[in-house]
Amino acid sequence: MSNNFLEIKNVSFRVGGKTKVKNVSFNIKNKGDIICLLGPSGVGKTTILRTIAGLEKIKSGSIKLKDKILSSAKNHIEPENRNISLSFQENSLFPHYTVEKNIHLGAEAKKINVKKKVSPKKIIKLLNIEKILSKYPHQISAGEAQRAALARSLVTQPDLLLLDEPLSNVDQSFKEEIQVQLKKLLNNLKITTIVVTHDSYEAFYLGSKCGVILNDQLKQYDDPYNVYHFPNSIEVVNFLNRGILIPAKVTGENSLENEDLGTIKGNFIKHYPKGSAVKLLLQPEDLEHDDKSNLKLEVVDRKFRGTNFIYTLKTATNHLIPVLVHSHHIHQHQVDEKFGIKRPIHIDHIVCF
Amino acid sequence: MKKISIITILFTFISNLVFASEVNIFNARHYKADAELYGKFTAATGIKVNLINGKSGALEKRMIEEGADSAADLYITADAGRCGAFQAKGMTQRGLTSPTITSSVPKNFRTSHWVGVAKRARIIYYSPERVTGAELSGMTYEGLADPKWKGRLVIRKSSNIYNKSLVASLIANNGKKATAEWAKGVVANMARESTGNDRAQIMAVAAGEADIAVANTYYLALMLSGNKGAEQQEAAKKVKAFFPNQDGRGTHMNISCAALVKGAPNKANAIALVDFLLSPESQEHFTNNTFEFPMISGVSPSPLVVNNLGLDFKQDLKTKVSTYGKNQAAALEVMTAAGWK
Amino acid sequence: MKFNFWYLSSLTVSIIVIVPILTVFTSFFEDTSNYFKILQQTFFHEYIFNSLTLLIGVIFFTFILGVGSAYIVSFYKFPGANFFKWGLILSFAVPPYIYAYSLFAFFENYGTAFTILKYLFGDGNYNKQIPKFDGMFGLILSISFSLYVYVYILARSSFLYQSQNLIELGKNLGFSKFKSFYSIILPAARPAIVAGLSLVAMETLAEFGAVDFFSVNTLTTGIYNSWIAFDDLAFANRISFFLLLFIFILFLTENLSRKKAKYHSELKGGFKKKEKIKLYGGKSFFAFMFCFILFSLSFLFPLSQMLYWTIKFPENLIDLQIIDLLLNTLYLVSLSSLVLIFFALISNYGNRVSNKKILNILSTLSISGYAIPGVILAIAFITFIAWFDENMIKALGFLSIKKIFIGSILGLVLVYFIRFYSLAFNGIKSGYEKMNIAVDESAYLLGYSKTKTFFNIHIPYLRNSLLFVIILVSLEIIRELPITLILRPFNFETFATTAYISASEDLLEAAAVPSLCLIIIASFFILLTSKYILRDRDE
Repeated sequence: MSNNFLEIKNVSFRVGGKTKVKNVSFNIKNKGDIICLLGPSGVGKTTILRTIAGLEKIKSGSIKLKDKILSSAKNHIEPENRNISLSFQENSLFPHYTVEKNIHLGAEAKKINVKKKVSPKKIIKLLNIEKILSKYPHQISAGEAQRAALARSLVTQPDLLLLDEPLSNVDQSFKEEIQVQLKKLLNNLKITTIVVTHDSYEAFYLGSKCGVILNDQLKQYDDPYNVYHFPNSIEVVNFLNRGILIPAKVTGENSLENEDLGTIKGNFIKHYPKGSAVKLLLQPEDLEHDDKSNLKLEVVDRKFRGTNFIYTLKTATNHLIPVLVHSHHIHQHQVDEKFGIKRPIHIDHIVCF
Repeated sequence: MKKISIITILFTFISNLVFASEVNIFNARHYKADAELYGKFTAATGIKVNLINGKSGALEKRMIEEGADSAADLYITADAGRCGAFQAKGMTQRGLTSPTITSSVPKNFRTSHWVGVAKRARIIYYSPERVTGAELSGMTYEGLADPKWKGRLVIRKSSNIYNKSLVASLIANNGKKATAEWAKGVVANMARESTGNDRAQIMAVAAGEADIAVANTYYLALMLSGNKGAEQQEAAKKVKAFFPNQDGRGTHMNISCAALVKGAPNKANAIALVDFLLSPESQEHFTNNTFEFPMISGVSPSPLVVNNLGLDFKQDLKTKVSTYGKNQAAALEVMTAAGWK
Repeated sequence: MKFNFWYLSSLTVSIIVIVPILTVFTSFFEDTSNYFKILQQTFFHEYIFNSLTLLIGVIFFTFILGVGSAYIVSFYKFPGANFFKWGLILSFAVPPYIYAYSLFAFFENYGTAFTILKYLFGDGNYNKQIPKFDGMFGLILSISFSLYVYVYILARSSFLYQSQNLIELGKNLGFSKFKSFYSIILPAARPAIVAGLSLVAMETLAEFGAVDFFSVNTLTTGIYNSWIAFDDLAFANRISFFLLLFIFILFLTENLSRKKAKYHSELKGGFKKKEKIKLYGGKSFFAFMFCFILFSLSFLFPLSQMLYWTIKFPENLIDLQIIDLLLNTLYLVSLSSLVLIFFALISNYGNRVSNKKILNILSTLSISGYAIPGVILAIAFITFIAWFDENMIKALGFLSIKKIFIGSILGLVLVYFIRFYSLAFNGIKSGYEKMNIAVDESAYLLGYSKTKTFFNIHIPYLRNSLLFVIILVSLEIIRELPITLILRPFNFETFATTAYISASEDLLEAAAVPSLCLIIIASFFILLTSKYILRDRDE
């Protein structure tokens, strides 16, 4: 007997006779935890949610919730008996009922006890859908429908809430606010949640754990910080797309050498023998700008991100390196100009492959 | 609604079983007069008459497929050829040999399997304005092929059963080869491609589209009766009837017949009904309403028929009506071969 | 285990539908006679020629009438446009055979036209001046004026769903109105129009009453005659091969076009409620006249002719037991709709929850009954029951089942079921398809069992579709002729059979009252459906 709230062990997730994600194991330790599954579209994230919800069956491994087997090769508890709520990516509101009735049907169906910590009213208000309560699903926008479906899921106070791209149709301007509110609400209600998303910012913000699914495998399941800073494979690096790999040679216990940048010092998170050729992960925040430095690289692109700039620099060996600069930095560098990089280069944790 | 449906289904099933005294007719003759007669029959005998109306082909097919389980007692249709063909398929049985039948119906118009209940003649109608007495003198069916009628004749389609029976009788009398030639002559004489029913042929003469037409006797009477409206009554007055082959075998006669179906569950009732239809009252009812000729002697045709068509014409009593059925296929063949639409 | 129920019920339905169709073929392969060799050659060519002429004629007229009227009412505003929008579908209440009676009676020598002329201008021989509409041309008109409604409805809904962008595109390109219509609007609506025309073509090939009345020999009546009258199955086989070839092509065309039409109509982006163009002066008058003449010819004309006769020969009104006929008609309609709805729902639901390919194939087979002409279906049914009874039931020593199925309400409803199952199935399917499968799943996740989902979510959602299907099926059964004619029990008549029987006995005046009743009831049902058929996007 384990103490995990949700335990997924060696499950291959299948849909329509085709295996989407192989041999997955991960746990959610405590009630109320929020975890995120991150991956490109079509990789099978939705299949994982559908399987946990009981809409798809499994042929091997097991899924346990609160020490009770939900799915295994032999057992399959029907979705209506799981007390798991799934909010679909597509519109799943009952088309012939108003939004309000939709939300109430959720509560009625499960005969929710009255000792709710958060009333439907509060949820409705929080999700900013008061105005559309009397409307029918075909009369509201996709984003509104998503929030209404989310409200319907929340009022049932499920043991496990599964959110499939919950905010994909919500306006960017409104998204961050909802993310904050959603997280607060889920924490308040202590609803254990799995969020599926392709947006890494969303995943890093919402999840206490984050799983990256690539090429039919769960590549990494870890704290968001670790996933970002200590990606365990080149695929994860490529997927997160927030750094590049440059060739380097290990020159000592905490130093390596790159043709263009020279010596780089820092702490290896993994041991490499001296002299081995590696690929070094270089993320935008690893290098610092210094106008006075004699290490100058050519600017090929500049992205204004509001709080910061990301400069893309070209090295002599034609590698493109991203460097982050605070937005208030005194002057800006134009494309084709030279850009100085502070030396000596020090990176807190050196990730190599 | 559901309850009503279930009750009605039960009722439909049961009603077929409950009435001990009934007779089931597969009926291809749909005159109001017939229905009235059946009502009178039920009133007189207490035997309920169940009807299934339809076209003869479909009714025959249904009886054949139902086979021994068919509820059919009598098959009533308006052509001797059909009764004959139905008998040839082995679908009828002996039994129509009651004293009433044998004593009142001429042998020519019955077998032991089926019996005529009313007669009609297929005759020539002409426009007195455009056809002279000399032209018509001694006119026969055979004479319809005479080139002098070129562009002046109308007659309905070859698929029509009355035409099939008429041509069948010609084959019986003149042989298939001669009739084939005759059919070609008829087609050459047509004023227009065959179209419409018998009444339409008569009206074509009235309207001046043609000078002579071939149609059954009762149609003119029907038009003259005013039942079809004042215009058609007027039109009918522009047309005169002519009975062909008076110097030879007589005018082609056809019958409405009742056949006793094989395995009839109510055989006795069926025979009783046929007897009833042959009673003088029923015969009079036929003649006054459908304007057919009576099957039994002693009953006069409708005054409309008598006054306008004449009564004392020579009927063809030589050609057995049972040959119509036998020669039907050959008749259709010669007509089609001649290009008769 | 759970899914076996759906599998079984779908299988049952498709077997019920397919068996009589198979009977048509198997019995055709028993070569029985060498009868009528010469006739066959002549007839055979005539049947094919007539069927083709009829098809081409009807398709031509229904295309012009259906697309023309749909275009005018969907794109333009003119006096009466709102009336014609639904008024034009009323002609569906007039079955081709009743139109045929009216057409014949009006134009025949000394017919209604003659009476009118005489009344207006005094005595005279007008017969030669009055055109005659019988035979093939009369038949084409009778069928076209009743069936153009299919094209009208489908073309209109396609026009309505066309995005404003498409029409503005034409304007931007500087096209004239005609060119816009011809090169943008029409091609975009093509799948819908083709679907409508294939429906028309199928109905035309299946038409019995009007074809029989004008005694034009088509493939369908050819099969009927050679089977019924001559027992010549070998010949019937050859004809039916050609007929089914025709039908198969039409069936495929219709199905494919329908799929494409759906694709077109479900384009989500860029739909904007179109502003109709207001017409003035001569153009407005032309639009009005086009619709008005069409409405008059297709609906008012047969209605008036039947009304005229009913008044002129009132004794027919007294003779007819209208209440009995009405009850019989309603009884058939309600029983059949219930049965159809029940099975169509089960099948659709089965397809939805189990999502198995085999079920899909079975349901496609089940809807093929619609393609088989009613007259052939009815005979095939009798033949099959007779065969089954002889070879299975009696061979096993049971009592005969013939009486239960032939000449009974049960048999009648069963064959209606086969013929109209596709209407019910597709009607419910199109309703179901609009509801995302995620809706079901979220219901399960909210704790609804499958049964509860069906009754609490699906049924309320499908309410409108169900109502629509009931009305549509009712309409078809009210108009239906050959099946009722061949299979009905003793002493059981409907408006359609009474009208047909009277007409076939050259008593057209007597056919007027039942025809009039039929038109009125059918119109009533159409008015009930118009709300669903003509629903605009934004309503």
